[in-house]
Amino acid sequence: MPQVAPQVGIVLVSHSSQLAEGVAELAAQVSGGTVTIVAAGGMDDGGLGTSATKVTAALERAESGAGVVVLPDLGSAVLTVRALLAELPDAAVTIADAPFVEGAVAATVTAAAGADLTAVAKAAEEAWHARKL
Amino acid sequence: MPASSESITLTGDLHARPAGAFAVAAGRFASAVSVTAGAKTADAKSVLGVMGLGATTGQRVTVTADGPDAADAVAALIAILGEATRVGG
Repeated sequence: MPQVAPQVGIVLVSHSSQLAEGVAELAAQVSGGTVTIVAAGGMDDGGLGTSATKVTAALERAESGAGVVVLPDLGSAVLTVRALLAELPDAAVTIADAPFVEGAVAATVTAAAGADLTAVAKAAEEAWHARKL
Repeated sequence: MPASSESITLTGDLHARPAGAFAVAAGRFASAVSVTAGAKTADAKSVLGVMGLGATTGQRVTVTADGPDAADAVAALIAILGEATRVGG
C-alpha cells in the first residue's frame, strides 16, 4: 500500500550492532515493512558500546517529516541518546522509556498505522504492561 | 455512535506477523476496536495486546468496533483474520 503521509521513524540504540539489527528486522517483519527503522548498535569499530556518531546519523536517516522515536537498550545507550538530544532541543525526537524488543515492535506497528509522534512513543511505553501469558 | 461486532473461527494461530498486520489495519480506523478470544480482550490497535491473546487455530475470535467507521473496521479486520492466520508466521 503506498504511503502518502510521512510516518514516524524509529531508531534502535543498542550496545550490540547485532541486537539492534535483529530487533529492527523483527519489528519490520511484524509491522509489514513500511516504516523506516534504523539500527544504531555498537561502537564505530564494531565493538560493544554506543556511538554518538552512529546515533546522530541514524536520527537523520529516520526522519521523514513526522518525527522520530528512539529506543535505547540499557545504561550508556540511554545516556548517549539523552546527551545528544540535549544538544538538539528543536528536533522532533522522543526517547521512549520502554522494553527494547516489545517497545520497538509496538512503536513500529503504531507508526505503520499512521499514528503521530506522541502516540508512537506512548505505544512503546505501554509495552511495560503487556503480558505475554 | 454506531457499534459493530462480528466473529470468526481462526484457521491458523494468531502469530506475530498476522497480529502485526491486524494491529496496523486496526490503527488506521478512527473507531475504538477491541478483539476478544476466550476470556481475554485486547485493544485491537495494540500488537502486544493482540499477541497476548494467544489465539490459536479453531478458536472463536470476536472483533468489536465503536465509532464513525465501526462497520468498515470490523469487516476489514475479520477479513485479515481470515487471510493472515492461514499464512501463519
